[in-house]
Amino acid sequence: MTAVQAALSGALIGGLYALMAAGLSVTWGALRVINLAHFGLILVGAYLTYQLTTAWGIDPVLTLLVSAPVLFVAGAALQWAYDRLNIVEFNSLLVSFGLLMITIELTTQVWTADFRHIDAGENPYGTSAVHLGSIALPISRLVALGFAVLLIGGGHLVLERTFAGRGLRAFAQDRTVAASFGIDHRRLGMVVGGLAGVSAAVAGMVFALGNTIAPAHAYEWFGTVFAVVILGGIGNLLGSLFAGLGVGAFSAVVAVLWDPSYEPFVLFLAIILALVLRPKGLFTRRAAA
Amino acid sequence: MLEVRGVDARYGDAQALWGVDLEVAPAETVCIVGPNGAGKTTLVQTIAGLHRAAAGTITVDGVDIAALPGHRVCDHGVATVPEGRRVFGHMTVRDNLLLGAYRPKARAAHRETEAQVYDLFPRLKERARQHAGSLSGGEQQMLALGRALMALPRLLLLDEPSLGLAPVIVDEVFDAIAAVTATGVGVLLVEQDVERALSAASRGYLLIEGRIAAAGPTADLRDRADVRERVLGM
Amino acid sequence: MSVRKGLSILAGVALVLAVLAHFNTSLGIAPYLLVLATSVLFWVIQATSWNILSGYAGYFSFGQAAYVGVGAYSVAVLTGRHDVGYPVSILVGGLLGALLAAVTGAVAFRLGALRGEIFALLTLAVPFILAAFVRINRDIDGGLGTTLPLPDFPGWVGDFQHLIFLLMLLVATLAVGTALWVQGSRLGRGLNAIHDNEDAAEALGVPTFRYKMLAIVLSGALGGLGGALLAVRNGAVQPELVFTLTVPLFVIVMSVLGGRRHWAGPVVGAAFVTVLQDELAAQELDQWGNIILGAVLVLFVVAAPDGLFGRLRVRPWLTVGVFVPVLVGLLLSGQYTELDAILYAMVAAIVAALVVDRLRPAPGAVSSPAGHLEPSAAPTEGARPTEPPATRPAGAAPLADLPQPAPPPVPPVAQSPPGELVSVAGVTRDFGGVRALDDVSLSVSSGEIVGLVGPNGSGKTTLVNLLSGAMPPTRGTIAIGGRTTTGLAPHRVAHTGVARTYQIPKPFASMTVRDNVAMAVMFGRTGASLASAREAAVRHLATVRLEHLADALPDALNLHQRQLLEMARAIAAEPVVLLLDEALAGLNPAEIDDAVAVIRRIHAAGISIIIVEHLLRVLNQLATRIVVLDRGVLIADGEPATVLRDPAVVRAYLGRQRA
Repeated sequence: MTAVQAALSGALIGGLYALMAAGLSVTWGALRVINLAHFGLILVGAYLTYQLTTAWGIDPVLTLLVSAPVLFVAGAALQWAYDRLNIVEFNSLLVSFGLLMITIELTTQVWTADFRHIDAGENPYGTSAVHLGSIALPISRLVALGFAVLLIGGGHLVLERTFAGRGLRAFAQDRTVAASFGIDHRRLGMVVGGLAGVSAAVAGMVFALGNTIAPAHAYEWFGTVFAVVILGGIGNLLGSLFAGLGVGAFSAVVAVLWDPSYEPFVLFLAIILALVLRPKGLFTRRAAA
Repeated sequence: MLEVRGVDARYGDAQALWGVDLEVAPAETVCIVGPNGAGKTTLVQTIAGLHRAAAGTITVDGVDIAALPGHRVCDHGVATVPEGRRVFGHMTVRDNLLLGAYRPKARAAHRETEAQVYDLFPRLKERARQHAGSLSGGEQQMLALGRALMALPRLLLLDEPSLGLAPVIVDEVFDAIAAVTATGVGVLLVEQDVERALSAASRGYLLIEGRIAAAGPTADLRDRADVRERVLGM
Repeated sequence: MSVRKGLSILAGVALVLAVLAHFNTSLGIAPYLLVLATSVLFWVIQATSWNILSGYAGYFSFGQAAYVGVGAYSVAVLTGRHDVGYPVSILVGGLLGALLAAVTGAVAFRLGALRGEIFALLTLAVPFILAAFVRINRDIDGGLGTTLPLPDFPGWVGDFQHLIFLLMLLVATLAVGTALWVQGSRLGRGLNAIHDNEDAAEALGVPTFRYKMLAIVLSGALGGLGGALLAVRNGAVQPELVFTLTVPLFVIVMSVLGGRRHWAGPVVGAAFVTVLQDELAAQELDQWGNIILGAVLVLFVVAAPDGLFGRLRVRPWLTVGVFVPVLVGLLLSGQYTELDAILYAMVAAIVAALVVDRLRPAPGAVSSPAGHLEPSAAPTEGARPTEPPATRPAGAAPLADLPQPAPPPVPPVAQSPPGELVSVAGVTRDFGGVRALDDVSLSVSSGEIVGLVGPNGSGKTTLVNLLSGAMPPTRGTIAIGGRTTTGLAPHRVAHTGVARTYQIPKPFASMTVRDNVAMAVMFGRTGASLASAREAAVRHLATVRLEHLADALPDALNLHQRQLLEMARAIAAEPVVLLLDEALAGLNPAEIDDAVAVIRRIHAAGISIIIVEHLLRVLNQLATRIVVLDRGVLIADGEPATVLRDPAVVRAYLGRQRA
């Protein structure tokens, strides 16, 4: 029973991992930019939610009305800069590492390095839980999963069903041919960068609901989120959702059945195995050559 | 409709095209033949805007497109079937076709065009939901052709449509090209299979080492022994 | 500067520093400068350790903290909890660093796909795993970090600060000495070639896997030793403080700032960044430190990826000439602390070098023909040779109008026994579901020039790749000179006497034309020393008539010259058979005649040739035999005149008329 409870609640945390991974995965897969600064955007999103909730008593979810547009602009601007300076793949890793450091230090200056959390009074999602028999599911985590399914499912539908989505997938596979059918990579890149920023705003908000926030968290997300991106398949949105749920459930079960302290160890070994065995991701579609 | 005047193309230091002149009229199939490395693919890419011309003009219905970025050229009615087909292997057949209708004008008409393409290539309809990567080479060539038609082109650029295909399949592809021309689309066909190219087109150009070495009705070119020898590089 | 001279200077500098530190009180050197110098030395160790793999070979790592952590925890656990002596635990730190590096390398380098960003992400995960491991096994550090006892040391050393300075100095000297030695050695040359183009390096005979393993193990050992000393200096170890991302940030910024192709780059970078950090801390602006470093990283990656050192080094006397007077002047004025004075002097020297560099680019600074071991590091705009000596205009008759001495004959090649040289038996190669080559058999005897022709996509380049070992056949065997090469690594195939050129030339961009060819001599079958390789290189350049461009960088060459360079590099390996993959593509007629003359000269020296070429006119004159592939199947093999009249061949090329 404890294992089931653990798996369920772990999978719910996985919703958060998936939200964090989605934006990273799409910009990497479609635009060939490995944007470590995405973690900085998530951090800023979390602090914006904290700030607006604490200062004005707004419902945390409604803070997205502010943080999503702000981070859309930030994400689009980042992508514009990467494109103008022709920073892809390897260099994008270095440049965005520098940008991440700057973001983390700036958030530290604004909000200090102390742990912050939204007061219980302002956070209707913070402490309550839904009970299914003997299994308790915290509301904040259900919200995380809800947003993950909504955002990633929506993103998936856009990718699969709309002309813009097809354009992006085509662009990811063959830039030259895509261009010859009228796909403007600069505009598309900025829109995708902006949407990745929105996903960072949502991920940050969801993180702020159930956790204390500190600048150093941006580092701690690295390992798990990259594991989710790579396991899910670079650029594969649904893959990152499933990988996020799987990683969350797996590490929680390991923690319960084995020892909580083994959790990160097992997880990172899994990443390395995934990198070594399937560098392109577990959920990549097998295409006939 | 298409007029190419004095076009040069270069890759860094290496010049690939020297003062190329050619034209294509509506509903006309024009072929370019020449040995490997003569610059045929460069010529197609330059017209399609994927490679910037170093000199000269490329006009489509009077509009100079030589300086446009690649993604703007298709707005002027030019669609490409690239060498090696280059279908989007991870996307379904239908998504590949719809991608062809990306620009607003084509998008507005995509339902009708899609039906027309399926009429032309019934096999694509059967496989609409399959991933393009799982198609055979011939089917992929049909898909590449269909994808280009979805853009409602007035000029179709075909780069080596027979490459790597079995002869029976090549017959089908060329039948399809004839059907496309019949709808009023101008076709510029680049092909290393000289015999097929000459029989499919009404006029032809011989491209040797980046220059137009001979031009004329295909019936004349076919009778000239030197054309074959020069394509062989003798 | 030779390696020996460099090492002596390094030892001298270390000795002077040791003496200065030892008598610091009598010399009036403030104690905090000793603390600062110890910090600088620690970062010199780490940045140098990082640079040996990531700078020289271009395999960027985000995992430097793993070595620091392993070193620090070796000391913390062995000395802090098990009373093992410091000397032993520090050495164990270095050993475990090397071991960790070896494991990481064995995993990453075995898989060809783990290059570039995937390698970087893998290394990013390693410190996290180790940090998790420490947090899990609470008995390692008792949960809340470990404090260390004060080490015992002889009284002549001075106080603890002197001791730790001396230890850091020792390891830093070892690290910089190693980097200096590696840079001048075959290993360094090979790593440089891996950085520029790993496939071409392997094809020339560089044992890339072994070299990368050596580099990562050296890096791990030095990083581990440095980490162990960090634990001794701090007297306490906590996972958060050693397994932190600040470590990779610092080493990457230091190396990118200083320059990654030269041993001195990370040293300059480490000194500057550490002093800057200290100054910021002194001004109570330390929270700005990482912001500034992040900005520096972005700026340098975008604007000056070659780093500072390449520019400073072009004008060493200017740099020193500004640094020393400014430092002395500021100190004598008495209005600045030593720290301010050092930082301002550094900034002044850098600014002076950069400004002068911009105003008057130094000519010919990259290739220093006198210093025969000096690698052509960090090519900068200013340092690039402006234009190669006037080359003949395209289209001019290549041989007639230039009064040239007759080219020297190609150096003699170990004559292989007459008879079968290359044997391809029943070779098939599939890519996914596509069959690129289907049951091809072919035999080439010594002395032949075999033309390999066929339509696009017929499998010609695939056959060349199989012959050079770049990929294995799906079925069938290939033998060179009677030795089966199927399954050998490309550099082993190269050593059986196969050399190749690439359709798109792949020169080593950071090396001069001469050094590009010298690489092939060094890593060829005979394996010459560095010095003699350069001499041999000039002979091979003369064979292709490129000797006038020996000091140019490949970027300054036109396509024809780059293809000639490819050929020079290929024959420098003294092959028995040379594979030319479309070596004439994109050339104008005059250049083609020129290249054909070069190929004839190479052949006259006893090298058999297999040439892929589309121009049948050329092959008709040049080849002794022509082999035709069509859709992966060998359809003709024989005399050029006969083959080119073969109806099947004509059909393959011209197609079939429809009935």
